[in-house]
Amino acid sequence: MSAPVEVVLSADSAGQLFNCAVFDPHSGSEFLSYRGGNTSSRSLTVLNGEYILGAQLGKNFINVWEIQRKDQLQQKIVCPGIVTCLSASPDGLYVLAGIAEAIYLWEMSTGNLLAILSRHYQDVSCIRFTDDSSHFVSGGKDNLALIWNLSSVVQLDSSRTPEPRHILSRHSLPITDIHCGLMGPQARVATASLDQTVKVWEISSGEMLLSVLFDVGIMSVTLDPCEYFLFCGGSDGNIFQVSLCSTSLSRDKTFQTDSDGNQVFKGHRNLVTCLSVSMDGTLLLSGSNDETVRMWDVQSKQCIWSINHKGPVTNAAIIPAPANMFLADSHPAVPLPRFSRHLNPSEQGDTTGSGGVCLRLGANTQVPEGTYLEKADELYSLMCAVTDKVSGEVHHCCQDSIITVSRILARLSRRRSFV
Amino acid sequence: MKSKKQKRQGDFQKVQLKVGKKKPKADNATNVNFKSKAIHLPEQLKHADSGPTTNRQLDIKDLLSKLHHVNSNIKQGALVGLRELLSGQPTLIELHASAVLSEVAALFTDKDGSVRAAAVRLLRFIAQCIPPERVAPFFPLLSAHLTCAMTHISEAIQEDALRVLDVLLEHYPGLLSQRHTVLLTNFLELISQKRKSGTGQDKAGKGAFSLTISTNRKVTAQQWRLTVLLRLGSFLQAVVEERPLEEGVISRIGLGMWAGEKGSVTPVDVSWEEHAFGKGKIQVFENSGAVPSPHSAYRLRPDSKAGGGMNKELCSAETVQGFAGTLVPLLLEIWVEAAGGDSVQTDSDHLLSAEAMALMFQILTILQLLRRLTPQRDQQDILDAWFRNSYLTDFKHHFMKNFPYGLREVARHKKKADGKRIRQQVAAGTVAGTNVEPLALNVTLCQVMVTLSLRGQDHIEAEDADWLGPIRVFIRETLSNGGKLSLKHLAALLEVVWRMIVTQRSRVVTDDLLQAVFVQYQQRNLAVSVRTLLLRFFSRLYIQEQQNHPHIARSRILACWLASLPVQLVQLGSRNPQLSAQLLETIHPAAARGNKDLLQSLQKNACSIYDPQEGCVVVLPVESQKRLVQILHFLPAFPAELLACLSQVCNTGRVSASLATMLIRSVHLRSPLSGCSSSLQDVPVKDVDYLSFFFTTLTGFSSEMLRALQDTDEDGLLPSSTLSPLSVFATTLEQFLHHWDIVEEVCHCLNTLGSRAQCFDVIQNAINKNLCGLVVVPDCVCAAILRCVPRLLDVNFLPSDTLLHFLSDCCLSMLNLLLQLEQSARKRDAVWEACFAALSTVPRLLRLVLQSFHVFDLCEEELPVLAQILSLLLQHTQLRNHMMANASLLQHIIQDLTHFYGGETREQWLTDLLYCYSVTLSGHRTNMGMRDIY
Repeated sequence: MSAPVEVVLSADSAGQLFNCAVFDPHSGSEFLSYRGGNTSSRSLTVLNGEYILGAQLGKNFINVWEIQRKDQLQQKIVCPGIVTCLSASPDGLYVLAGIAEAIYLWEMSTGNLLAILSRHYQDVSCIRFTDDSSHFVSGGKDNLALIWNLSSVVQLDSSRTPEPRHILSRHSLPITDIHCGLMGPQARVATASLDQTVKVWEISSGEMLLSVLFDVGIMSVTLDPCEYFLFCGGSDGNIFQVSLCSTSLSRDKTFQTDSDGNQVFKGHRNLVTCLSVSMDGTLLLSGSNDETVRMWDVQSKQCIWSINHKGPVTNAAIIPAPANMFLADSHPAVPLPRFSRHLNPSEQGDTTGSGGVCLRLGANTQVPEGTYLEKADELYSLMCAVTDKVSGEVHHCCQDSIITVSRILARLSRRRSFV
Repeated sequence: MKSKKQKRQGDFQKVQLKVGKKKPKADNATNVNFKSKAIHLPEQLKHADSGPTTNRQLDIKDLLSKLHHVNSNIKQGALVGLRELLSGQPTLIELHASAVLSEVAALFTDKDGSVRAAAVRLLRFIAQCIPPERVAPFFPLLSAHLTCAMTHISEAIQEDALRVLDVLLEHYPGLLSQRHTVLLTNFLELISQKRKSGTGQDKAGKGAFSLTISTNRKVTAQQWRLTVLLRLGSFLQAVVEERPLEEGVISRIGLGMWAGEKGSVTPVDVSWEEHAFGKGKIQVFENSGAVPSPHSAYRLRPDSKAGGGMNKELCSAETVQGFAGTLVPLLLEIWVEAAGGDSVQTDSDHLLSAEAMALMFQILTILQLLRRLTPQRDQQDILDAWFRNSYLTDFKHHFMKNFPYGLREVARHKKKADGKRIRQQVAAGTVAGTNVEPLALNVTLCQVMVTLSLRGQDHIEAEDADWLGPIRVFIRETLSNGGKLSLKHLAALLEVVWRMIVTQRSRVVTDDLLQAVFVQYQQRNLAVSVRTLLLRFFSRLYIQEQQNHPHIARSRILACWLASLPVQLVQLGSRNPQLSAQLLETIHPAAARGNKDLLQSLQKNACSIYDPQEGCVVVLPVESQKRLVQILHFLPAFPAELLACLSQVCNTGRVSASLATMLIRSVHLRSPLSGCSSSLQDVPVKDVDYLSFFFTTLTGFSSEMLRALQDTDEDGLLPSSTLSPLSVFATTLEQFLHHWDIVEEVCHCLNTLGSRAQCFDVIQNAINKNLCGLVVVPDCVCAAILRCVPRLLDVNFLPSDTLLHFLSDCCLSMLNLLLQLEQSARKRDAVWEACFAALSTVPRLLRLVLQSFHVFDLCEEELPVLAQILSLLLQHTQLRNHMMANASLLQHIIQDLTHFYGGETREQWLTDLLYCYSVTLSGHRTNMGMRDIY
């Protein structure tokens, strides 16, 4: 059997059989399971295709598994508080955790705590990265969603508090879920809220593009990769499909009636807590508080399979299968560092001397020689030298060609004078 | 012979004329004894295209040509004539606009005063008739003539030029503001002259211009300057206001400062129902397709389009600095003269004459406007810093020396001189600016000075303390002395307070100033607009600045203000919905942010806010109701009394059913039973309270109301009988349907609870305890119970006998009611649905119902009713299997019925019943296997 392209990763809050498990998206058969503890909602994430990170429900640590050693809990990262949501950047360089109303940012290469962002007023409920890891969006129980620029958060010196790029404040009840579309900083973000609306925003401008009002509170939201459809999981167990680009010129839609029935996925009996769409946009995965995970066919809106869990499903996602997952003898390329619990470890005095060199632009630079400006000057002079050389050669060529052209012109004018 | 002679004599007879006799008439005298009438020609024949004329038979061409006449009287006459002609024939203005405007403009510099006055009058008239976009092509000409007049050597012409400017400012501010490059220097030259280069070098720092004093004007130099400065002020105002707003720059000055903001992309707004039924088509990608929207903060390359054109020049800080560099020294000089000229007594330097005050007010207004010329925030900061570096010492020295200023009382004996002065002022046309209140002057002074205080740096704060101190004292006293302030002054003062709070970053200052504002806020009988302004000030302060400035967040006054909001909401009631909405706009985010003071106060007042009779949640409009319901989500705890209130709010029907379901949902979500809130330490809704809330909401009637209902003797009561064991109280249709919607939601919430068996047990006990003994039951309660029980019933759970008996009673009464309901299809459907669900789902219920049909106890009239009920049950195919299970019982009843009736003629109802019965049984015979199962 060849390795699958995509797998389903899901976890429930009971954790009787396993903490989280990997399933086949087409048949629903279980591949692997990872044991130990249980995971709180929106806090299961795969780091760099090598580790699985999941925040323990109601406790202040994060469980870590190496992705190929399924049964063994590898490590526990102790955090300053109960982790409410967790997200690893797609490039595997940073990890974000929402702890109470603050967002903690760790750098994976060193384990340093780079920033504590406390712009939310209440617990953070969800954090999502854009696909290029340049921005992230955090939503909280204070009705706010904040769009942050990762580089501005990382590079700021400690004297200034980092500011979010945009503050999305149009929801009137706590935000339950966020989905970031593709295309990096030009992506669109969908936010779901208990105020019965789902809103679509633009990351670049922070403007709201769309607001859909439902009859029930919305607990989860996702977009398909093409962003044709918006899937919204309601608190009554229905999943609503909103078509984002209904063509007015509908030659092929004349025989298809858009009635209520074919836009709702019916089957769950309780809150739909998580939604995810496969890469090709044909499969929709949903996890619910009624302890089932269901896979749906988007086109026909039928349930393909369902898996019973032992408790309310907290996380369910379709993810591209990590390369290491099915190779039992593989090892992560980078060992997981110790996560520091304080900002600026050098000041705290509990540095372990991990031997790693911290390369950060900004005030906290640990490499004293040469400021950034000097380096830039150096680089500039180097580039100038190269370009001078090149342009000198080019100049020679040009001169040659100019001479030949002028000769030709002279000949031409002579001929004209003869005529 | 004789006859010949006689004849001759006869021919030549001489008439003797004698004295005293009348002269005889000559034979050939003409008789003039006739009368004739003259033909009167009022006008000469005209050519067809010559157009209308004035009373003096002059058409527009004549008039225009007369404007070039040497004699000034004729020119004036022509101007008057033009005005008369044009006012009679407004269409002519459009036709001849170019000619008229150019000719009139040429007369701005006429040497005769009356001609100029007439020209201005005509211009004013024309300006009223032509919109700005039509004048735009001629405006370069007009402004050229205006410039010419302003720089004219004759002072009288200069003065009249200002009137022309007035007219243009009034009607074409946008067009005029584009000419600022020329006009601004003209203004300078009106009150000053260029220094000669030598002297300019000597007095370095004094600017290149010096004030002029001309002795031969009719007015004093001060008055003249005042008139010029007035115009300069209004001109700058026009420049500021007419500037096309840049992206993302919201003019947050003055009254608009605390107004709402608007996004630049109009979002698509749909609701699910519309979308699902194909009405609301969504096209998100038009808003931002492959090309990012122009409002995006990303700039890949600088804008290639040079927008703005001429206006660009005044936007940057450098150009404004250049202009201000010449203007501000002049203004300072004027200030010194105005202040110094007045100060006769040294002890009352701060008392000014009205005229000096007006002048100073103008100076400060112009300084303020200068700062506003740059729209961008960063540019404004540069400009502020520049002002501070260049002029702080001067401003401090001159402006703050005698601050705050007051109006000098004018002694009585000076009255005559005053009258004269007033007349002069009228002549100079400065009526508008002369009556300036000292408060306005002081407030503007504060505004100007406060912009000089920079934010952030600590060492500067210490420096500034000496001049910010008096300003602070003044503001505090003005706000807290109990007087009512006008909207404009208050807005300006609040702006100053805002700036001081943000820049000074000290908790003492913040509390000090906010205390003063709060005193103002607490006054009674404020006008609604003033109240709204203060409210906006506080709420913006809380919402915008709190995060960046910890000293604001910690402010005691702000906390106090937030805590007072729920109380105000309760007190306000339904008197002013707008103000209530404004209050809610602050309460909602503050509650969402978990502000402790607000939440405590909210908790304390929750019962009165959510009171079912006169609480805000029922008296306010829908939007506010919705917010109030959403605020519920953030309440720290739900005590039993509050839940009782909420349950009644849901059921009284004064909030819509959708809002009531929202309310129920948010209570459900806050309860740990729903499994949404993970934290275990704080329990907002106790489980007991939660279940009793849901049960009360389910019944829709509190226990007191039900008890009261037992004794009443109302019309809506259907008496109990054998067929209807409970006496049914029929509710109105609206109440029934409202309650029906709520029951639906309650059932859904209860359904999602963790353990269904336990939940059902609780509900069963509650029904047994509260409802089973009742004699009179409202129909909606019956329907609700019948609907709820089958939905909550677990397969493995056996309901108790008491419950089953009560259910059968309910069911029978409802079926009886069903037959009497003709008017409303919806109600009938709902009742039937409930009965049907209960009968088909709850085991043994159908048997109990059938057993309770005691045919022999019925009277004659009730027999058809029973038969109808039976046939109704028989007709329903889904119930058929259940009927089969009780076939013997059924047969028994029908036998009794036919036997007991015993009438000679078989009535229709009996025929129907027997038919239904036979059909059901025949179907049953074919499915004999089915019978074995039961």
